[in-house]
Amino acid sequence: MKALALLLLSLMTALPAWAIDVESLRGPRLEELYFVIVRDSDAQLLALERGTTHLVTDLIRPVDIERLTRRDDVVLSLTPAFHMMEMGFNLRRSPWDRQELRQAIASVIDREGIVRDLFGGYALALETFLPPISPYFEEQVPRFGHDVDEARNLLARSGWSWDGSNRLVDPSGAPLEPVRLLSPLAQVSPTTAELAQRLALAMESLGLPVTVDPLDFPVLVERLNSHDFDLFLLAWSLTRDPDNLFSFFHSSMDVKNGYNIPGLRDAGLDAILERLRFAPDETAARQAASEAQKALAELVPVIPLYSRYSVTAHSKAWTGFISSEKVTPDNLWSLLSIEPAQGPMIPFRWNLGEEPRNLNPLAAGSAYDWQILGLLYESLLSVDPYDLSDRPGLAESWTLERIGEEDKRATRLTFRLRPDLFWHDGKPLTARDVAFTLERLKALEVPRFFDSVRDMASVNSPDERTVVVTMDQVSFWHLHNIGGLPILPAHILEKVDSWRDWQPATTDHGEGLTELVGSGPFVFREYRPGQYVRLTRFDRYWRLPLEP
Amino acid sequence: MTYWSRRLLGALAVLFAVLALNFALFRLMPGDPVTSLVDPRFSPEAKEALSRAYGLDRPLGEQFLLYLKQTVTFDFGLSFVSGRPVWQELRDRLPHTVALSGSALVLAGTMGTALGVAAARRRGGAVERVVLAAGALSFSFPSFFLQLLLLLAFAVLWPLFPLRGSVSVPAPQGAAFIADYLHHLALPVLSLALLGFGSWALYVRNLMVKILGSEPLFLARAKGLPEPVLLWRHAFRTALPPLLTLILLSLPGLLSGAVITETVFSLHGVGRFLLESIQGQDYPAAGGAFYLLALVTVTSNVLADLAYGLADPRIRVDRRKGQ
Repeated sequence: MKALALLLLSLMTALPAWAIDVESLRGPRLEELYFVIVRDSDAQLLALERGTTHLVTDLIRPVDIERLTRRDDVVLSLTPAFHMMEMGFNLRRSPWDRQELRQAIASVIDREGIVRDLFGGYALALETFLPPISPYFEEQVPRFGHDVDEARNLLARSGWSWDGSNRLVDPSGAPLEPVRLLSPLAQVSPTTAELAQRLALAMESLGLPVTVDPLDFPVLVERLNSHDFDLFLLAWSLTRDPDNLFSFFHSSMDVKNGYNIPGLRDAGLDAILERLRFAPDETAARQAASEAQKALAELVPVIPLYSRYSVTAHSKAWTGFISSEKVTPDNLWSLLSIEPAQGPMIPFRWNLGEEPRNLNPLAAGSAYDWQILGLLYESLLSVDPYDLSDRPGLAESWTLERIGEEDKRATRLTFRLRPDLFWHDGKPLTARDVAFTLERLKALEVPRFFDSVRDMASVNSPDERTVVVTMDQVSFWHLHNIGGLPILPAHILEKVDSWRDWQPATTDHGEGLTELVGSGPFVFREYRPGQYVRLTRFDRYWRLPLEP
Repeated sequence: MTYWSRRLLGALAVLFAVLALNFALFRLMPGDPVTSLVDPRFSPEAKEALSRAYGLDRPLGEQFLLYLKQTVTFDFGLSFVSGRPVWQELRDRLPHTVALSGSALVLAGTMGTALGVAAARRRGGAVERVVLAAGALSFSFPSFFLQLLLLLAFAVLWPLFPLRGSVSVPAPQGAAFIADYLHHLALPVLSLALLGFGSWALYVRNLMVKILGSEPLFLARAKGLPEPVLLWRHAFRTALPPLLTLILLSLPGLLSGAVITETVFSLHGVGRFLLESIQGQDYPAAGGAFYLLALVTVTSNVLADLAYGLADPRIRVDRRKGQ
């Protein structure tokens, strides 16, 4: 039954074969948009079933998904997500510095069983270092499928043995000491706690005594940051760029607070990751990403376990949603094109699963904050909903060039803005706003954007519609780092002295606006804490009027 | 030194101790708030910048002095999590919490007192038996269970009340807003009143039984005073000082809120704010909220002393003798 539901869901996502040309899309048709804050899963489902909300995202519980599959008035969509759960080793310690042991452990873990038993099938067993949804996913990598006998043979071939009590003995003849697997508390993350127990049992089947050590999340992270661990369980939310592989596995990131938590130091991999980080173009980036994934699959510094699906449900009372094999309907493109299936226009109600924590684009960190802020502020580039490639945003065109001499190479990005761009307060959006945003993000040392602008050497606006950014180093990712930044109005940003203290959502800007003034399709109107956030259509948005 | 100056000095000492404990406890807890920002887009340099921005890189003594200055001036700083001033966060939530807990306290107190008096009036009667049973049940019932049952019955199966929140979406304007707000508040308040009246009823009943059995009341009854006069003017008046104390000592609870109730009914209150601040190691938020609670608790204690003296002149006389 569960498998059938899963199959139906997959089919549903595959159904809209007619891809819309998002560049020519006009909108938004919606006049008013509410983000209704409902945190409890049961209340979220009831609200959708009653029609008091029209879209629910991040459905996780199999029982909820199956309940909604039985309804005729709801459409469920499922895609793989940029999520990855992994078990990692501390390679700075023995015996985890032994590659064959890590490979053997990868072989005793039954990922398919985990996905089936813990998630009712609503997750993807993962054996690769990027999830399949990534545009840089490499399928042809060495894999260590579930095979306990092969795991034992692999160890035996490398000189490992077992003593009378079936405890694993290393090639020097020393039996392995009991080790600890750090995991989140069961109260906070019950499935991960259960997963930790299953992994411990799997490793014990190999003769490795493992005790699960459940920890409060900040404590767990502190232990990882100070490299005080044997094994750990951790989940990541990744992005479309594979640049995170550098952060996770390059030797230079094996420092306190660095993201190379396992402490992998491999010269060969470092060279590949440097080619990835400083790839001059997309072809070179793709090649390096592929090589990095293959090398990592052999090195096994962590064991990828599963990737969650992104599951969204929306009411059939609305039509025009845009979704694909890579994107569920909860996206900007949908909000531009949806309208009621019949009858007059009414406000659309989107269920926000958490309170927006911080509606300050310089400090906001949670995905829930950005679900709102992402509709207020636009970037130079946008992301195609079908293949996640670059699409025009505020910039209608762009170029990426390598410049400089051999010993001092740099990247020059030139963006050409669309004509007739406006801020929500009616002022024109020009290249000066873009240049000023980039300069201020760097000058204010905004942590969230710190790494995106760190290499920025200069930014100029030779005319009203052209922005030229020069970046130290040659790197294809500079395009995404700069092109993906939210662009803020210079006339507001110039008053901001501290990214931390700015309170744009509560600072009056006149004419019913706050300082949350962007150029996106929706205008911020009201945040009623604990209840909802109200946005209205920006009538001077560049994709309007509906009929050009 | 007079009784009141001693009392005030003691209150200030308690406040200072709470401040010091607040500061120490959150910093003694393992982990630090910056480590919880696990995001591959944050390099070690970006994390250090974040730590600097929140003053977490300063020496502890300097942090403590800053903390003292902030709390005394009610400037609790910015929440690590929301980036908003803590005072603003509390101010947004306080009205909801006071409305919820205050209404529930009034309702539970009134119901409990009336039932307690009624039970004490006829010892061994049906009323007393029912009040004792209902009181014990109310007192011992798990709050989340009753609240979920109420939601299931009156918001799902028979949708008389809203399922969640404090107002409708969108919120109506003017008088309709108040009606809408009360409509949303009704079920959570009712649930808290049902859960809270039992302790009041049992306390008042026990108090009244003791007073009604005392010698002065026996004499008054022997003198032929009418039963209502005996009950309300003499017995209940005698019971007032401890009841007043109980009410004043309940005031801090109005601010700390009802974490479970706020969670079940999706209310934007102080209780959940406190819980989430502790879980997220949001020092300024948790510190500010605890300081406010300590302030209200200490003030309520002093007020209870004062009120006790006003309600019962014998206490004032005793204090003078004590001096």
